[in-house]
Amino acid sequence: MIFSSVFFIFVFLPITLLLYFVMPKPGKNLVLLICSLIFYAWGEPVYIVLMVFSIVYNYISGIEIDYHRRERNSGRMRFVFWLTVGVNLAILMFFKYYGFLMENINHILPIDIPYKELALPVGISFYTFQTLSYIIDVYKDNVKVQKNLINFGTYITMFPQLIAGPIVRYADIETQLDRRKITPSGFGNGIAWFLRGLGKKVLLANNIGMAYDAIAALPDGQMSVLSAWVGCIAYAFQIYFDFSGYSDMAIGLGKMFGFEFMKNFDYPYISKSITEFWRRWHISLGTWFREYVYIPLGGNRGGTLKAIRNIFIVWFLTGFWHGAAWNFIFWGLYYGVLLLLEKYVLNRVLEKLPSAVKHIYTMLFVLIGWVLFFSPGMGDALSYIGAMFGIGANGFADAAGIYYLYNYALLFVIAAICSVPFTYRLFSRTVFGGRRGKGHTAVAMGVYVAIFVLSLAYLVNATYNPFLYFRF
Amino acid sequence: MMDRLTENLMKVLGIVKYILILFLIFFIVTLMKGDKMSNTPIDDVKAAVTGAADMTDLSEADHRTVRRIYGINANDYDGVVMYMSDSNMKVEEILIVKLKDASQASAVESAAQARVDSQLQSFEGYGPEQCKLLDDHVLDVQGNYVLFIVNGQAQEADQAFLDSL
Repeated sequence: MIFSSVFFIFVFLPITLLLYFVMPKPGKNLVLLICSLIFYAWGEPVYIVLMVFSIVYNYISGIEIDYHRRERNSGRMRFVFWLTVGVNLAILMFFKYYGFLMENINHILPIDIPYKELALPVGISFYTFQTLSYIIDVYKDNVKVQKNLINFGTYITMFPQLIAGPIVRYADIETQLDRRKITPSGFGNGIAWFLRGLGKKVLLANNIGMAYDAIAALPDGQMSVLSAWVGCIAYAFQIYFDFSGYSDMAIGLGKMFGFEFMKNFDYPYISKSITEFWRRWHISLGTWFREYVYIPLGGNRGGTLKAIRNIFIVWFLTGFWHGAAWNFIFWGLYYGVLLLLEKYVLNRVLEKLPSAVKHIYTMLFVLIGWVLFFSPGMGDALSYIGAMFGIGANGFADAAGIYYLYNYALLFVIAAICSVPFTYRLFSRTVFGGRRGKGHTAVAMGVYVAIFVLSLAYLVNATYNPFLYFRF
Repeated sequence: MMDRLTENLMKVLGIVKYILILFLIFFIVTLMKGDKMSNTPIDDVKAAVTGAADMTDLSEADHRTVRRIYGINANDYDGVVMYMSDSNMKVEEILIVKLKDASQASAVESAAQARVDSQLQSFEGYGPEQCKLLDDHVLDVQGNYVLFIVNGQAQEADQAFLDSL
């Protein structure tokens, strides 16, 4: 089930909200847990087994770790901790990377080993990282063990962020699982977040994605320089509005139920360096890797060489986390190299450059990064990047390139406007900043109703169009 | 007394964890039974299928046509081959897709089913022969391969498809 579907908006969400608000406080988490399991089972009836396993297994492990700590049995505590981390990672590795491993073994060996590749359980990368954050924080005594199975299950399965994040760390939500404020203004704010996300996904990402799909389907050697750039820019907007739209909807749904999730995007395309870009893009994933991999490895404390090693490990894992394919690994390492260059070589040069140049530099490398990300393989990525710079391209501008640029120009302009904070600030000032509050609230209502109605008009006629990050 | 109770409870929880792991292993083994991934190149599968099907008036289509007809992006898959009739009045067509992973199968199946429905709608009432061919279509998912064929020799082509994997 996806948020941007008529069924979710008009059936699942209203029923869940109704049950949630009718239920007295002690039962609210149970409602959320049951509804979240139904939400997950809707698309993954078989893999609900994995989800239930994950809840019960990690719940027991947390209790065991806490017990052995109180018994001062550190050896046993360490054993349970590493076994639990190992089991969680083994499940993730098996379901996500087994096919990739077998494919590569078959490439190397002279014989073909037959194997069956299983479908990826939706959201496994996200909820495994959430359970790991809990187990690691309990082990490090950063959080109290969760003794209530329903509360723990709610944390793991909470449907607003179950499928594609933000990756909520247990430490950030620990108190909210027991006590949270549900206010009319918080609920209304949640609806506004949800509608902004819906608009980003349905009106911007889905439409601009059609330009990318059409250009990506061009046969080899038929792509001009212009087409290649239009396709790449279209993808950059598509993935931003798709993923940040999902995150906004998740944050909005969380607010409706009284939860506060961390912001996952902060206008990444206004960045003036790659380092800044990664502080603004998929913030929850970056935070997770920093807290649970980079810092435990020593961060930048053990000298330059260790810092370089740690950055490469983190970025290798970031790439690999995104998918079982070589291009994702290269994509991660590509950013590792760029970040190291900025940290040790380019930082002083970048400081002196005008803002516009820094912005162009950042976007150029981000766009090349997206080619590595969306290409089916490294060969395809290199030939696409070649076409962007005229190597193997079908001329500078052909009829197809001009056609797509002309047809999507307006959408590109709207997407660019919606990618900068100025637009939302202007909207926010118009609504909240003036003296005539009522009139301005009507403006906000008008905008949100328009987003809702337009999105519905698209949804009613649209085919199934899941979020890009569902496959991770 | 309380300590003893907690100790026993921890023992029970430890046993529950091992039972859970055994259950997980059983679950995975059950999932692993079934169709295996095939490493046969798509060109070999294509040769087998086109060798068995009636290829009269059928020509190979490009990726843009695949996107237009089925709404699927060929670049998202390991390989896509499509043949369609040169005439608008004929419904014969062949689609062979080599999936990157098994999770893509449902999207291809839905696309093929949608194509059958839309073609049936178009030919309903005046093309009984075409409707018969559409009703007798074969949609076969085998591991990482999908075959969709509307053809007088659909069954023979499907057998050749199975043999080639």
